[in-house]
Amino acid sequence: MFRYLLRRILLGVTVLSAVSVLSFLMFFALPRDPVTGMCPKNCNAERLERVRTELGLTDPKPEQYANYMKGIFVGRNLGSAQGGRCDAPCLGYSYVNSEAVSDTFARVVPVTLSIVLPAAVLWLALGVGLGLVSALRRGSVVDRMSIGFTLTFASLQLYFVGAVLLLLFVYKLRILPNPHYVSIVRNPLEWGRGLVLAWVTLALLFSAIYARLSRAQMLETLSEDFVRTARAKGLSRPRVVGRHALRAAVSPIVTIAGLDVGAALGGTVITETTFGIQGLGRTAVEAVRQGDLPTIMATVLIAALFVVVANVVVDVLYAVIDPRVRLG
Amino acid sequence: MRLRAALAAGGAVGLVVALGACSKNTGEGDQAVDTGTARTGAIATDPKDSRGPAPEVRGATKGGTVYILRENKISHLDPQRTYSFAGLMGSQLFARTLTAFKDDGKGNVTLVGDLAETPGTNVNSDCKTWEFKIKDGVKFEDGRPITSKEVAYGIARSFDPDLTGGPTYLQEWLADSPQYDAKWDFKANKTSLPPGLSTPDAKTLRLAFAKPRCDLPFAVSLPASAPLPADKDTGVNLDNLPFSSGPYKITKNTPSVEMVLERNTNWDPATDPIRHQYPDRFVWSFGADNSTQTNRVLADNGNDAHAVATGGVPSELIAKVANDAALKDRTVLAATPNAYRLSINTQRVTDLPVRQAINYAIDRESITKNLGGQYGAVPITTLMPPTTLGFKKYDAYPAGATGDANKAKEVLAGKKPALVLGTSDDTSSQESATQIKNALEKAGFTVTIKPIPGDSYLDEVKKKSNPWDIWVDSWAADWPSGASILPVLFDGRNIKAEGNSNTSYINDDDVNKEFDRVLAMDPSKQADEWGKLDERIMKELAPAVPLYVEVYYLAHGSKVGGVFIGSIFGWPSFVNAYATS
Amino acid sequence: MSDPSLQTTLAVQPAVDSRPETTGEAFVGRSPGRLAWMRLRRDRTAVVSAGMLGLLVVLALGSPLIARIYGAGPGQQFGSLLDSTGMPLGYLGGVSARHWFGLEPGLGRDIFIRMIFGVRTSLFIAIGAAVVTAVIGVTAGIVAGYLGGVADAVIGWVTDVALAMPFLIVALAVIPTFSLRFYGPRDAIPSWFAVCVLIGTFAMFGWTGTARLVRGQVVSLREREFVDAARASGAGIGHVLFRQLLPNIWAPILISFSLAVPAYVTGEAALSFLGVGLPETVPSFGRMIYRSIDYIQTDPAYVFFPGITIFALVLAFNLLGDALRDALDPKSSR
Repeated sequence: MFRYLLRRILLGVTVLSAVSVLSFLMFFALPRDPVTGMCPKNCNAERLERVRTELGLTDPKPEQYANYMKGIFVGRNLGSAQGGRCDAPCLGYSYVNSEAVSDTFARVVPVTLSIVLPAAVLWLALGVGLGLVSALRRGSVVDRMSIGFTLTFASLQLYFVGAVLLLLFVYKLRILPNPHYVSIVRNPLEWGRGLVLAWVTLALLFSAIYARLSRAQMLETLSEDFVRTARAKGLSRPRVVGRHALRAAVSPIVTIAGLDVGAALGGTVITETTFGIQGLGRTAVEAVRQGDLPTIMATVLIAALFVVVANVVVDVLYAVIDPRVRLG
Repeated sequence: MRLRAALAAGGAVGLVVALGACSKNTGEGDQAVDTGTARTGAIATDPKDSRGPAPEVRGATKGGTVYILRENKISHLDPQRTYSFAGLMGSQLFARTLTAFKDDGKGNVTLVGDLAETPGTNVNSDCKTWEFKIKDGVKFEDGRPITSKEVAYGIARSFDPDLTGGPTYLQEWLADSPQYDAKWDFKANKTSLPPGLSTPDAKTLRLAFAKPRCDLPFAVSLPASAPLPADKDTGVNLDNLPFSSGPYKITKNTPSVEMVLERNTNWDPATDPIRHQYPDRFVWSFGADNSTQTNRVLADNGNDAHAVATGGVPSELIAKVANDAALKDRTVLAATPNAYRLSINTQRVTDLPVRQAINYAIDRESITKNLGGQYGAVPITTLMPPTTLGFKKYDAYPAGATGDANKAKEVLAGKKPALVLGTSDDTSSQESATQIKNALEKAGFTVTIKPIPGDSYLDEVKKKSNPWDIWVDSWAADWPSGASILPVLFDGRNIKAEGNSNTSYINDDDVNKEFDRVLAMDPSKQADEWGKLDERIMKELAPAVPLYVEVYYLAHGSKVGGVFIGSIFGWPSFVNAYATS
Repeated sequence: MSDPSLQTTLAVQPAVDSRPETTGEAFVGRSPGRLAWMRLRRDRTAVVSAGMLGLLVVLALGSPLIARIYGAGPGQQFGSLLDSTGMPLGYLGGVSARHWFGLEPGLGRDIFIRMIFGVRTSLFIAIGAAVVTAVIGVTAGIVAGYLGGVADAVIGWVTDVALAMPFLIVALAVIPTFSLRFYGPRDAIPSWFAVCVLIGTFAMFGWTGTARLVRGQVVSLREREFVDAARASGAGIGHVLFRQLLPNIWAPILISFSLAVPAYVTGEAALSFLGVGLPETVPSFGRMIYRSIDYIQTDPAYVFFPGITIFALVLAFNLLGDALRDALDPKSSR
């Protein structure tokens, strides 16, 4: 188990470094000037050129990359224009936000976690629940309604559903406050009230996929030999479903859920934009709009980190849930 | 079965979508809104005008919290780096300046002394030496008195090349060079002052320039003249927590999320001619876009009843807000000095008749309709916006509201010029570009729209060598005088390789001479001259097509009052704002 | 994230939602393809959704002709039919005999004709992206699955990297700059180029699901007797891969393809929402939906018509995909 984990983590590290090189190449090759917006009205070329030199933008690309990486692991000195010493993990300094990029992320990552993790619990519960009920009561009214529900939401856009829910519950009925983020430590109730609309919207759209998937999985598993054997042995139906079939049916769902959660953490761009909540995704969008390169780079890296971590977690979970998978 | 269930659900979605009213729009509710009021204004000559306290606002009450909603954080809070509308207006709450505009929100502005007893003394009447006397009783948030030393330190630190973003008038004028930071190095001389700046005593600040700078009283109304004690200078980090000299101090700032301002008990209303201290707190809340902000304050729910949606009513909600009589006293409508024009690259479009034909062909009505009609923009035919002192209305190329394609064709005399229209790639800019293209093509032009990534658009069109023929540009003057508009935009001697404000790249000797002549006049006598010069530039050179001035239409909750649109920058002012319970 | 389905649907597992069996007929030998076709034809849902899609495709293909008959082009503005604040005059956002679905507020273009052209753009992008995705994914999957070893490890690693890049953020940063690289600063950028950029972007990120799916299938097939037989009789790698293996895995590929198309329709809408879709002048479904949603309170008709159409389009694809899976699933013939 330990060796397997270690191998997975090492693989993840190589993926991350590839992402860092790729995004570095991609963004620094873009025809954008990171010193834009530094003097809004009366710019002069000489001063801009000096700033570019000071920022190290005139250094060779490999050197810039090495400096960036060094910043992440041991910190570096960015010069007085960028707030001086920047401790590890140093992701650079954002001129647009006037703060170290790591400070920005320390603030926005908890927001995105607060949106995605509860939403994931909700969409898994709703999706798998619906899927199982459908599979067990195949062809019933419940099954049909569940299929109608999931197909409808699978065919809708997130921002569309979000806008309708927002209009209905916040502006018209006024039973929910405007979506916002309050730290769960400060006020758990307000935390929930502020984010519930985002959770529900995400859950409605994602659960559709999980319901379809888990219904199919469950039906397939129920027709497998080992289930028949268990039934033939005289085990009760709930026991068979609960102990045997569910376990086997759930493992592929875990794989996909892991990928989805990882990808979602990397940027709930649309959700955050629709509800105006300042998390990782919105920060990324703003950074792109304002040409804030250090922030864009950091977003890509952090998003990749989430995906890689989610992958490792999934692999481990997989082994725990499904006895057929052997680690080695 | 599956199909039927899905269709039923789809029908439900359709119903939800159709939950709006189904009534006929006859367009009859439209009444003309007067958004073109001209400004009257002057520089205060009576020192009494500069004394506090500011007259009480009718109906204002003390206490409570006013929430200010805004989509993005304010780009800079450090007064020496502040240059955005939100920053300039927002900083009034925590930064005092040498001079300030007394503004009744109805177009009457007077430049008065803020920290200074008067709006400046022109010592030898040659505009080269200016003196300011700091008022007694003005204090920082920690109770320290504000003297000329701290004001001078504030100006000195704006020479620091690390502190980007702010205006550069004072630095360039003092150093008499655009390379001001090469002339005087702030970091190496922190205990001394830049050339020309001196503090003969704790009350007196003196600025001496090599050339006449008659606009100085206006220039020191920008927050770059805000004071700062040297021991409170945290360099670039001051941007997140400035040190207050105004009625409020920033007690908590979470960038891009929230900024809380609380009363500064050391602020003395008797010294301040423009500000009040009605609410206990101001809370800036960032993140919601214009549409969300407006929906929130209209819903008037909880704290949002105390909120101001600074993003303004977006065009898609104008019909809802404007047609609701009950919302009338919860909205503010005012034309801003922010003037949009279609710049013509005169280096490429060298033919005057072609530039004139473009002027005839433009359909201003369609462009403004897309922005929400009179609630979003007011068409103009002059280079200076109507809010400029001495504004004179004229139309050099009369073509009606929707343009005159035939007249344009006539002027073109059979030519069919091909033009490339550069545009920012955001939605509303692209929509304006579509309008311009359609109008020009009706007159026989061929127009190619060239989208440019939004974050670099302004930098690109400000490059002298840019490859486009026409593009939309805007200018909001730093003070309402033609001096901060026409020479800035059309004096060809200032054209550089990049970072140009003269984005028509026009350079006409006669006009340049005229600029020099008017600029050397007494500021109070310049106004009429700028009006004449505006018309002359359009008639003789046609370097641009004036399009429209932005209209600010904002909504706020039912428990906020005193918010008005500042006449100088066309952005909400909070100095009179109050909360009711 | 914009389109939850983008990743998951591609990795979807074949399901067993089997239809009633064809009983009571004389036993006739039929190829699996024919069997699937027969099952599909008997599935009412499949027929209705296919009809729906067929209608939309015909409308899309015939859009220039329709525009001529209808009497309004997709870029034509009817500014005089708007009130002074830019809202359409008349009922339901300007619905009239001339303008069936009303007019866009602000610009005053005809919604019906822009929608027809928008369907064309959206379908082209979605189908194009799905085809490119399938080609890349199938090739990578077959190579990885059949060769195993180093090739498998490398392809698996590249897949991991592609999965780890946040699609929307990268798309947002990179798409607007493409045209700057390929066209001079004064050249008009043809709409087909913008469309190709979108297809390319989708393909770059979308192939991983298909690759994983195909790899899994190939791994389970490569040790089977018929493959051994082909190898033993001296067939080259190409022959084994594309003549022996591919025909046996086309069912899951087809399913994942049919589910990818609606995911890309949604994806294009998501990119438009973030402002990096097609230029404004190109009629696109995505941009239309995203623009209209703001008008939900002031012009619900503008939201309704494009909204219901894109919903029907995506739903029809989803339904057809499901039906296809039912029909093709080998287990359902057990």
